Amino acid sequence: MFALRLLWRDWRGGELGILSTSIVIAVTIVTAISLFSSRLQQSIVAESSFFLAADKVLRSAGPVDPAWLQRATEEGLRQGQVLNFQSMVMAGSADTDGEFNPEQMQFTSVKAASDSYPLLGQLEVSDRAFGVSETVSAGPAPGQIWLDSRLVPLLDIALGDQVQVGAKALVASRVLVNEPDKAGGFSSFGPRVLMNLADIPATQILQPGSRVEYRYLFAGPPQSLERFGAWLNPQMQPGQRWLGLDDIQPQISKSIARAEQFLLLAGALGVGLAGIAIALAARRYSERHLDYVAMMKSLGATSRRIMLMYAGNLLLLAALATVVGSALGWLIQQGFFAILVGLFDISAAPAVSLRPFVIGAITALVCLMAFALPPLLALQGISPLRVIRRDIDSGGASDILSYAMGVGGIGLLMYWYSGSLQLTLAVLAGVALTFLIVGTLAWYLLRGGSMVGMQAGSMWRLALASMRRRGLQNAVQAVIFSLAIMLLLMLALVRSSLIEEWQVQLPEGTPNHFLINVAEHEVAAVDAVLTENALVKENIYAMVRGRLVAVNRTAAREYVQSLGELPDSDQDAAPGAGGNRGAELDRGTNLSWSDTIPSGNKLLQGQWWQPGSEAAELSIEASIAERYGISLGDQLTFQVGSEQLTVTTTSIREVDWGSMQPNFYMMLPPGLLRQYPATYITSFYLPADKKLFLNQFLRQFPTITVIEMDAMIVQIRSIISQVSRAIELVLGLIIISGLLVLVASVQASLDSRFQESAILRALGAGRRLVLGSLVIEFSVLGLLAGFLAAISAELSVFGLQEYLLDMEFVLHPWVWLIGPLLGALLIGSAGYITCRKVINTPPIEVLREL
Amino acid sequence: MIKTKNVEKTVSTSEGDLCILKGIDLEIKSGETLAVVGSSGSGKSTLLGLLAGLDVPSSGSIELGDYEITALSEDQRATVRAEMVGFVFQSFQLLPSLSALENVMLPAEINGVTNARQLAEQYLTRVGLDHRFKHYPRQLSGGEQQRVAIARAFASQPKILFADEPTGNLDTNTGAHVIDLLFELNQEEGATLVLVTHEQRLAQRCGRSITLESGAIVADVIRAEQSATVDTLARDAGAQR
Repeated sequence: MFALRLLWRDWRGGELGILSTSIVIAVTIVTAISLFSSRLQQSIVAESSFFLAADKVLRSAGPVDPAWLQRATEEGLRQGQVLNFQSMVMAGSADTDGEFNPEQMQFTSVKAASDSYPLLGQLEVSDRAFGVSETVSAGPAPGQIWLDSRLVPLLDIALGDQVQVGAKALVASRVLVNEPDKAGGFSSFGPRVLMNLADIPATQILQPGSRVEYRYLFAGPPQSLERFGAWLNPQMQPGQRWLGLDDIQPQISKSIARAEQFLLLAGALGVGLAGIAIALAARRYSERHLDYVAMMKSLGATSRRIMLMYAGNLLLLAALATVVGSALGWLIQQGFFAILVGLFDISAAPAVSLRPFVIGAITALVCLMAFALPPLLALQGISPLRVIRRDIDSGGASDILSYAMGVGGIGLLMYWYSGSLQLTLAVLAGVALTFLIVGTLAWYLLRGGSMVGMQAGSMWRLALASMRRRGLQNAVQAVIFSLAIMLLLMLALVRSSLIEEWQVQLPEGTPNHFLINVAEHEVAAVDAVLTENALVKENIYAMVRGRLVAVNRTAAREYVQSLGELPDSDQDAAPGAGGNRGAELDRGTNLSWSDTIPSGNKLLQGQWWQPGSEAAELSIEASIAERYGISLGDQLTFQVGSEQLTVTTTSIREVDWGSMQPNFYMMLPPGLLRQYPATYITSFYLPADKKLFLNQFLRQFPTITVIEMDAMIVQIRSIISQVSRAIELVLGLIIISGLLVLVASVQASLDSRFQESAILRALGAGRRLVLGSLVIEFSVLGLLAGFLAAISAELSVFGLQEYLLDMEFVLHPWVWLIGPLLGALLIGSAGYITCRKVINTPPIEVLREL
Repeated sequence: MIKTKNVEKTVSTSEGDLCILKGIDLEIKSGETLAVVGSSGSGKSTLLGLLAGLDVPSSGSIELGDYEITALSEDQRATVRAEMVGFVFQSFQLLPSLSALENVMLPAEINGVTNARQLAEQYLTRVGLDHRFKHYPRQLSGGEQQRVAIARAFASQPKILFADEPTGNLDTNTGAHVIDLLFELNQEEGATLVLVTHEQRLAQRCGRSITLESGAIVADVIRAEQSATVDTLARDAGAQR
């Protein structure tokens, strides 16, 4: 009971303000970010899974063993099936004999789906072409067909009319606006139609040799999917693939992974910042209790009793802070999610789990153990003789042990929180570097000079004299300020880089349609049509189909076999490669040519050829080169038509596959391939309101294939935008944590400033002089700390981006301006707010307490 | 009550070992009022700290009541202090976050005394501060703070009271009132009083005074009336047991 009374008295006396607030903030941040991240992750992954219309897809060139589907049922997985193929769709009328006479026909991408399709996501349909859409959760019933808006005018029909697919007549009941798994494969070639799988036999379209893609859809608990996938993998045949989001949309997958890393980094830094605030507050609490404890010991309290009392009170404080922090954390993430749910366009947020709250509670406990225990040990060790001799120091844990425990505690928390040893070590290294560099610089700049006296005649001289007098103390404070500002700048820099990179990759006006199979004689006309319609287009590239037959004069199959098995994770490393290397060899590849290195390509090794070159050179894409073990100087022989072409690898390129422009694995100088028949490819941007242009274009160029990527790009952009907002909101939370550290740090130096100011004012110095000098001192410290923080932030971000986030580092000039200004403003303000009490307390009260 | 045998205290400094006290042989009887006088740096406060069990000598032994405190650990000495000792300090040593009443309650609370509050109120009233229970130290004058400290010292009902320059931070008039109060209460409670002071005037109020010079006792003066009082108190203490 005495301990509780002691805790209450400490609370009433304002002794526990910063300490308890620090613990509450630490728990709040950790809980809010954990809750937010896990729910955000679930939402983004859920929305991204809509790209597959399922959690996982088994893609096959033919029907699979029914036993596989039975096994999936046993695992409790929901299933669906989709067939994708290309076929003519015809509109016409029946003659007097009942024979169907086609009047209009159009080559389309047909999707035939089972009743359960889509397992995830929804379909968008409309009751008229290019009309307002609504969402539905199931496809057309048997006997019906849904058509792309463009097909309605192309086939010259109205909804309710019949169209013919193979031998089957179907009623065109609705317009298909969007389906979740629209992107990928040849389902994007030409206008789309959706029909029911049950109608397929009646169409008589599927014959032996028909080129049909079978997609078996699965959805269910992650563990069940994993078990099923593990069981399935060894049984799959060449050409069959078990697909997840990574395979279909690597860009989104990469974006989500980066966002997760960022959120984890933010959480880890938030923990670190809060930990520093707790350490500072605990240290101050301990220092202010030295006399308290000495007095109690002189009155008969034993060390054990003292220790039990303080440890018990801190545990109670941690428990209370956990409850308050958890509640606040939950409220904050609810608020964030309420803002974002509208943007996500999902009906309900995923359920909250207990894990984030457990994380918050353990964080509070570990923070106290790591940061409050060393000062507590100091308290326990204080000699009662201090009541007579105030100069006696505490006999507790040494400073080195205190720092070691603190760093160890922060490190453990960060590692546990992020799950990434790399990230943890990167952050700790950055912090250690900061201490070393900044501490040295700060000490050098602030060390005592030849200035004598307090220089109390002017505000500025008083401030600067005070800074020099407290050289070491200010150096330590500058390091702490600098650390807090550095961590905030780091987060801002990483966030900016992430968002900028995403936006650079998919800016407005990104090409959203591809044209393939453009004949050579059509190139000029296509270019003219695109230009006349003011459509922004990429370069037109030629493509020649070739098959790799030899590497360094060894037959390709033999060469591939000599490479051995690929690790499972690398089986499909090259984007779009698919299947195994043997099958890839059989399929062949597209060869293209260019005088100059295409935009979005970066030379990693070797040199590009001179314009006009006819040398037998090859530039190969980096992931394919790695997959086939190709290095500079290797000779590759391609079968092109009836001829063989041998070229030497003279450069290896990195390709930005997400840039939505034509890209090629193999590129050669123009002179080598001109003799071979080629088709051409390009991409262009088509605004949403100009979709009907495609109808006119296809009438003019009926043999050209149009691949429509617009819906997919819109979806990617939307996800990236949502993730960006989430990151910014999380940044806001971390900023609060950083500010708390600043306040705690300013508070830590308050006591000695109280004494000085009281004496100055007792001797006649005005309040304006004293407060002004304090504000100047803190602002200058903040300016210095901000400058030093900018240096260390750039260094740390370089390390993070280069080695962890796999992003290109660029210098950020704005940091060098914002850092010092931010430091001066924040710390000056914190100093002003905190030190006002110094000025407003009558000097006599302060002097009495000394 | 207190007995020291050849007590020495040496501390390490950057210039080598410094001997603060040497060869201190002292016996203080129950009920005695002893002044420890000497100039600044003579070792008075160090001796007080050793006698009270706040510190241990470098050599020699100290008995406090029935305990040889030099053979005890710090926690064991703390227990002895709780049982036997009260303090009044030059700088009052009141805890700023506690009210006057709470400061006085502190020793009783530490020792688990159930009527700590009533005891504290009784002693605060005795020192004339019944209207200042809820006031904090910063709201009290120096003399009032020292009176609170005196109330706190006696609220633990000590057998020995140690006072280290109790009027050092007070003006002459206030100091005189405080000392009067201290001696009155001491008389009422019958405690042994060890008073460290550099003021001869204050030392003369005690029945005995020892003078320290360069860490050694150079004079030990007993006043006649003190001697009789001490004997009477010793006899009464023996009868009560």
